[in-house]
Amino acid sequence: MRNHLIFSAAAAVAMLALLPAARGQDAAHQASVPDLSGVWQVTKYQPRMFPNGGAPLAPWGEAKFKTANAETNDPNLGCLPTGVPRLMFVPLPLEIVQTPTRVVIIHEGVQALREIYLNRQHPKDLDPTYSGDSIGKWEGDTLVLDTIGFNDKTWLDAVGLPHSDAMHVVERIRRTDHDTLVDDVTIDDSKAYTKPFTIQQVYKLKPGWEIQEYICEENNKYTYQGK
Amino acid sequence: MRKKMTNKPLTLTLSAVLLLISFAGSVSAHHATASFDMTKSMTVKGTVTGFDWTNPHVYIYVDVKDEKGAVEKWSVEMASTGMLARAGWRRDTVKAGDEITIFGNRAKDGRPFLHLSKVVFANGQELAQNAQN
Repeated sequence: MRNHLIFSAAAAVAMLALLPAARGQDAAHQASVPDLSGVWQVTKYQPRMFPNGGAPLAPWGEAKFKTANAETNDPNLGCLPTGVPRLMFVPLPLEIVQTPTRVVIIHEGVQALREIYLNRQHPKDLDPTYSGDSIGKWEGDTLVLDTIGFNDKTWLDAVGLPHSDAMHVVERIRRTDHDTLVDDVTIDDSKAYTKPFTIQQVYKLKPGWEIQEYICEENNKYTYQGK
Repeated sequence: MRKKMTNKPLTLTLSAVLLLISFAGSVSAHHATASFDMTKSMTVKGTVTGFDWTNPHVYIYVDVKDEKGAVEKWSVEMASTGMLARAGWRRDTVKAGDEITIFGNRAKDGRPFLHLSKVVFANGQELAQNAQN
């Protein structure tokens, strides 16, 4: 009797353990995480991260900021990549696509694609890139993104707040209601700033919108005078 | 250029309208609005000579005549094709020969170059440049 009970309990545990595998782990995982998928658009365009000034610039950042001129050397003028995190503030729609191991953000602006890996750590010895290397994990209702591996060629906002290749960006993205998505973007860059800071961007769901083609080089009448 | 403008009050009306229109709606994504004086709005009325349904910006080209018949060639910058399509624009919304009135903000350097907030067609139809959020 006792052996029978133990066997039954063991069988039940084994079946429970096997069930998700039988159903497919992907499906089980998909059902257990929040759904952020859809086309989203910023509710308010924030050309400045610090509308009233007061960005905590360190000397390196201050010197670089002084060279910024939105009319001549914003990388966007040359259709150069917007990069992370500025991409998240662009007033053009973005689409979030989820798989069990990946979150992909398709940005209409400058046709940028952002891949967030949910199943790995940052590789060692990253080549510096415009959008860095993004990994993510789910914390309850929130997708937490961690991005490093940047070059220092992009601006943080439309007035030219700079960043260095030491920048570390952490984003907390969640749905506050069905139609609303919020991203708290924390920028930690001890070379450019004296302390980390967090900027929030809110998005609305846009049912029926699809990401459109956007060829920046087609009819760009602006001249980028940066190097 | 600015002085010249004041000589043509009938056709180029530098309006003192407070520009909630362009401010509230203006989501010119690619190059923001750094090149334009967003604190002042003006109105330009003229004949369309061309329409670029392109990215990163759509452009309308307009010939504006002063009272003596002299023509000044204006260009008008708008948002991207995707955003304009969402606001009801199409690739043939504006055609050469159309008589239109454009509300917008002029380039800071004084060129005959506007950032559009809305256009009014001869039949009274109006189109803003952004989808209503």
